[in-house]
Amino acid sequence: MAQTLLKKKHIKFFERCLQILPSRYCSLDNNRMTVGFFGISGLDMLDSLEVLESDKENIINWIYSLQLLPDDDDSNIHQCGFRGSTTLGNPFKAEEARKNPIPLDSGHIANTYTALLSLIILGNDLSGVDKRSVTTGLRYLQQEDGSFCCVPEGSENDMRFVYCACCISFILDDWTGVNKDRAVQFIKNSMSYEGGIGQGPGTEAHGGSTFCAIAALVLMDKLYDAFNEKEIKRLKRWCISRQQTGFQGRPNKPVDTCYSFWVGATLKLLDMFELTDKGFNRGYMLETQNSITGGFAKWPDHTPGTFIVYTIYTDHILQTIIVSHSLKN
Amino acid sequence: MSDSGSDCGDGPWVAYREREEWKDVSPVPQDDGPHPIVQIAYSEKFRDVYDYFRAIVAKKEISDRALDLTKDAAELNAANYTVWHYRRTIMKELKKDLKEELRYITQVITEHPKNYQVWHHRRVIVEWLGDPKEELEFTAKILRGDAKNYHAWQHRQWVIREFNLWDNELDYVNKLLVDDLRNNSAWNQRYFVINNTTGFNDDVVDREVSYTQDFIKKAPNNESAWNYLKGVLLDRELSTINDLMTNFMCTSLADEFDTIRSEYWNYVSRVLSNKYGQSTTPTTEQTVVS
Repeated sequence: MAQTLLKKKHIKFFERCLQILPSRYCSLDNNRMTVGFFGISGLDMLDSLEVLESDKENIINWIYSLQLLPDDDDSNIHQCGFRGSTTLGNPFKAEEARKNPIPLDSGHIANTYTALLSLIILGNDLSGVDKRSVTTGLRYLQQEDGSFCCVPEGSENDMRFVYCACCISFILDDWTGVNKDRAVQFIKNSMSYEGGIGQGPGTEAHGGSTFCAIAALVLMDKLYDAFNEKEIKRLKRWCISRQQTGFQGRPNKPVDTCYSFWVGATLKLLDMFELTDKGFNRGYMLETQNSITGGFAKWPDHTPGTFIVYTIYTDHILQTIIVSHSLKN
Repeated sequence: MSDSGSDCGDGPWVAYREREEWKDVSPVPQDDGPHPIVQIAYSEKFRDVYDYFRAIVAKKEISDRALDLTKDAAELNAANYTVWHYRRTIMKELKKDLKEELRYITQVITEHPKNYQVWHHRRVIVEWLGDPKEELEFTAKILRGDAKNYHAWQHRQWVIREFNLWDNELDYVNKLLVDDLRNNSAWNQRYFVINNTTGFNDDVVDREVSYTQDFIKKAPNNESAWNYLKGVLLDRELSTINDLMTNFMCTSLADEFDTIRSEYWNYVSRVLSNKYGQSTTPTTEQTVVS
């Protein structure tokens, strides 16, 4: 068990993730874009993007190759956005793909969000993004109740994708794809009696969905319209109560590294992070490091995962978005 | 995304490219360009099945063999939402037996209980069937393995709401709480049921307060029960207590009983002092911070 941050090991870990994953990770096949984002953003947080310097243009080209562009008469506009991988057989050349569409080949809201963030981190100015079709595509994903699906063919709809839709709209500085009133109503309806927020109305409050909801409200600039003083107070109490040593995602559940991000970032958005016990949190995070392969796991002495390593710092995603915003202005 | 699956290349296997009945189809390889990132070291089997899956999607083939192929593709990656979507498209067009599909997806969910896509597939099949009669027992079975499985609870809530199955749910919740009074998902379900049926009228509130107090007496430091109690009393005046007492409580929590949150309790104490002033007399009453 390491007492310090094994920075060099983690850099190697991210580099390996960006190159090739073993076959047991084939369940990530549709979401390689998102795994790539965790790697790129992780290296950025470790202030080590220079290890990607020689590969940067290639990575940017790969990301753009997964953008689904509208055809001449916009007949596929509802499918536009970024795919998570080439698993449905689209050609590498986006122009060629545009001319020979494949049925069911659509962008995926989480992969659109992570593609945009990766491009920004790599210093791309997003001039290659077809902004109109990306935001128009979002409209087809929003449901009556304000929530979002991830693909136009239909999927589960919940708080995760509300967050993704808000990130995309914020980054592109275009909210025409999101009905904010409905999205806010969905988030309000999803606050549980406990004070935290679930994946949808009636569901149990959860660290992940609470982050998605609060971050979405902050991006829409609606946090204090959506919730009154009493609700914010309960929300803060619920979040701060999640710290045990590290953080848990729900009461009476074990701590898990990823909630240091989800709950920690929510507390940051609520200006409450300073009130956590940073020593305990840091101690738990360091305990979960794998001193051989690099990476962090959910629990001490478990196998590390790409997403989890990502959680070392709590406010990075939002910082990235804020950077993107200033880049645009 | 899903839980990570098992290794994808096990077992004896005849590749699609070697099958006589597939000779008429040209496999479609992935085209990842010259410098792909986050590659996956696919097994031979994975590559073979997905080369053919890409081929049938491209030619929009609706057939029994295509349906079988989706099963192989789903087994290799149960998180591939396009595979499940295509499978449903074929099932609908060929008017396949939905009950058999429900049996199949039962088995897949049992293997991958934390995968979003398989639960979504089940929900669509149940919608098409218009028959929820296996759902309560099925989710109960998954919850016996993991009482807090979020997907199972989401599915159960959807079924109950959609098909009006409220009648026995409080009994079920009660059983779970007797079993484990720290089961926060069960407390949430209790709130969900009451909120959608009787609502929290005065009689219900009295009953729930007394129900919850019994559990709190058994385990005074159980946050789930306290949260439920606070939830039941949400819009009511919780209690009144003088501010010196409240400040004393904050200090005790910060210094002795909940030291990991000492910064927070000190903050609450400061907020109260700012709001009500520090030197009020013990007889001044105000609402305890909620």
